Amino acid sequence: MIYFDNGATTYPKPPAVVRAVCSAVTRLGANPGRSGHRMSLRAAETLFSCRQEVAALFGLQEPERVVFTQNCTAALNTVIHGVLKQGDHVVISSLEHNAVVRPLEAMKRRGVDYSVAEVVEGDDEQTIRHFREKFRANTRLVICTHASNVFGIRLPVERIAALCHLNGILFCLDAAQSAGVVPIDLRNSGMDFLCTAGHKGLYGPMGTGVLIINSATTPDSLIQGGTGSFSAEKAQPEVLPDKYESGTPNVAGIAGLREGVRFVRQRGAAGIEQYEMQLARRLYNRLSRIERVLLYTQPPSLGTHVPVVSFNIEGMDSEEVARLLDERFGIAVRAGLHCAPLAHQTMGTNTLGTVRAVVSVFNNAAQVDQLTGAVNKIVKLNEKKVAIDSGSVLK
Amino acid sequence: MENNLILFGSMTAMMRARDLLRKNGIRSATVRTPAAYRRGSCGYSLRVSRDIDRAVGMLKQQRIPVSGVAAVDAL
Repeated sequence: MIYFDNGATTYPKPPAVVRAVCSAVTRLGANPGRSGHRMSLRAAETLFSCRQEVAALFGLQEPERVVFTQNCTAALNTVIHGVLKQGDHVVISSLEHNAVVRPLEAMKRRGVDYSVAEVVEGDDEQTIRHFREKFRANTRLVICTHASNVFGIRLPVERIAALCHLNGILFCLDAAQSAGVVPIDLRNSGMDFLCTAGHKGLYGPMGTGVLIINSATTPDSLIQGGTGSFSAEKAQPEVLPDKYESGTPNVAGIAGLREGVRFVRQRGAAGIEQYEMQLARRLYNRLSRIERVLLYTQPPSLGTHVPVVSFNIEGMDSEEVARLLDERFGIAVRAGLHCAPLAHQTMGTNTLGTVRAVVSVFNNAAQVDQLTGAVNKIVKLNEKKVAIDSGSVLK
Repeated sequence: MENNLILFGSMTAMMRARDLLRKNGIRSATVRTPAAYRRGSCGYSLRVSRDIDRAVGMLKQQRIPVSGVAAVDAL
């Protein structure tokens, strides 16, 4: 199979990730830090070294600011539910994922309101102005995707974060599609929280995510329970990262994530970005030459996009195109709304959805060409089918 | 020889402290915290035999949170 569904989760994983997961299951089968024996301590060391790797990737000195979560959604929920109180207002971008929209809809019942700032592709000034226009006296938090998971459009998040700080507003970055794919340095970034998946551009296993708390403001914990620390106390510890990590952690997943992050750091996010963007541009350019293929963004470029390309074939349902790519050509993509109906609404594709192809470091130019060749064949097959259906081939 | 224990609220702080001390030439060993000091601890401490004041100063300077320091006779 040729895999272009890397926006959902990257596949394959680097061999070191696979080895680390297997090794953790077979050799680190102890609850980290809880029990006092050597295997328990070794498991705790694994968590610690992963925290160090993640902190270093984002330019941070303090590994305790790295909190492990189940996924990016859990990290975002921790910020949303842990920071916001009745009467607060939030601003989000018009390209957000349901991981942001749905918790905010739920928060409406608790007296939290939110506004949507329209993103204008290729015009950062307008996008920033739209954010500024949505600010209110009670705006507590801005949540902003670094890059759309559907269209790959990057937002001017550094400038939006700076604007937030000028206005005393907390800023949360959803880096689900950008962490490991583009360089991110949290030092002096003005970004208070970063949420990301561990299993996408960081190449860890599914079931891993990260919340980075880069702020003096710490959210309330979503869940409370055993942390292996302050066990005599009834109250949840306030110390980081324990405050947010109650219960037995995903040691095998985090062991894999550590190797995934090492893989990214060895290659360098800037090098990864350059390679993947080359492939994305190739994909976009080749698709743009196929009649009846609809593209929705400007050509993907360094600095303004991540390597995500969304398209449709005129007159065909996106799910049908994805099915044909899978069944006839062995190519995996994702179709539909990609859990981001707001982004589709913004780009006018909320009825049809789109076919999305996302590249990873494990894709190459030949695979891109196979994908575009397959799309070309599907267009021709569909033309023939339409002609037969309408009877025009008989004339 | 007298042992000094540096106590921590989290494993992460303890491991970060251990690495920092090692980098600065101060030897320490990870040990289970004795019952008498376990309240307010992550359950592990660093045993430091020499340079305890310098070690604690270093941790403070790097803002690594320490729950306390205890002198114990034997472990």
